[in-house]
Amino acid sequence: MTGFPYTWRPKVAVGLGCLTVLVLALVWQPGAKAQPESRVRAHMQAAHEGLSIPVKTFGSPSAPIRLDEFSDFQCPSCRAFYEGTLRPMMADYVARGKVYLVHHDFPLPMHAHSFQAARWANAAAEIGRFEDVEAALFDNQESWAADGNIEKYVAGALSPSDFKKVQKLMAGCEPNSHSCPFDAFIEADIALGKQIPVRATPTYVISYKGQKFPAGSGAVSWDIMRQFFDSLLGQ
Amino acid sequence: MTGEKRFGLGRILLLLGRLVLAGIFIFAAYAKMKPQTEVPWSVASVRTSLAMFAMQVDSYQLLPTGYVSLAAHLLPPAELLLGFWLLSGIGLRFSALATTLLVGLFFAVIVRTYAMGLEINCGCFGPGEQLGKITLVRDGSFLGLALAVTIGAFLVHRAGRNKMEARVSVTDAQRAD
Repeated sequence: MTGFPYTWRPKVAVGLGCLTVLVLALVWQPGAKAQPESRVRAHMQAAHEGLSIPVKTFGSPSAPIRLDEFSDFQCPSCRAFYEGTLRPMMADYVARGKVYLVHHDFPLPMHAHSFQAARWANAAAEIGRFEDVEAALFDNQESWAADGNIEKYVAGALSPSDFKKVQKLMAGCEPNSHSCPFDAFIEADIALGKQIPVRATPTYVISYKGQKFPAGSGAVSWDIMRQFFDSLLGQ
Repeated sequence: MTGEKRFGLGRILLLLGRLVLAGIFIFAAYAKMKPQTEVPWSVASVRTSLAMFAMQVDSYQLLPTGYVSLAAHLLPPAELLLGFWLLSGIGLRFSALATTLLVGLFFAVIVRTYAMGLEINCGCFGPGEQLGKITLVRDGSFLGLALAVTIGAFLVHRAGRNKMEARVSVTDAQRAD
């Protein structure tokens, strides 16, 4: 017999000790955070100004999977995520009641027109036409990002009567104005995102039957995300 | 310091280095495969975690969609295997070399992603970690450590062989006397 076991046993013991410490560090989870106060403030302000909460959701709230996405209308990765993942997802799993999609605005300060685009999208959401305006904004991102003419593409996405309604709601929402009623909703979304925390856009948080998964960021193809959803639905 | 003492210190450093590397790899595999929500461990929970890891692999925009899932399902078990191989100390030169190659590959991918300006999750130790400068420094340190362990493993092996040969030649000389 050689002395092999006597040489490796202490080494393995040390290794397993290190491993235990690492595993314990991982198992520790900080407590759940409270809902942001700004969200409550936004709802109160909306009620005060006669606005309802803009509907920026797709599908049935009773769907087993919920996807909260934090997006910036002017960010190219958000556009890729919308075109390559969210759009096919809406046509498939959202339409079939498997996924409930919730849009949250997270305009980044480095994008000159993204906050204004979010205002237009929220105004459209106020009359239930968020989906059309979101599609128009992402489809024409390069054009309006260059000149800031968002109104042109919102007008193109809506019927003349709906556009008039949205224009009316957008009174006081000029690019440098601070009295836009939709800012409270956008700020509430930003505050919620900061709690996640959102560090880049797009960021998405997936929940399955109330169990929340850690946030992901960056564009992911629909095929790969669908495989993840299928593994959840197959549990 | 005598040659014998230096050799002993080298062996201790090598042991520490390989245990740290083994811990990193086993932890990385564990973090990717563990249930990401409060559900118990099961085959289904591991499958779900690996499917989630596939989304992180995909966000690197490096592999065609068909290979993303394959890579995501092979990588964590490979890390686990490599971690236990390092822990065992068996064939250390080869396990350390394999580790260096794998860490080198990870580092190259991370540098490329950072240079491209992609703001994604690293996925290195499970979900939730944003890829940034800290990731670069950390993975660069891991690469340095893996290289040091590999070089150390080869040096210790050569020193051990030289010692053995010296003993054999002394014994042969004594026999000849």
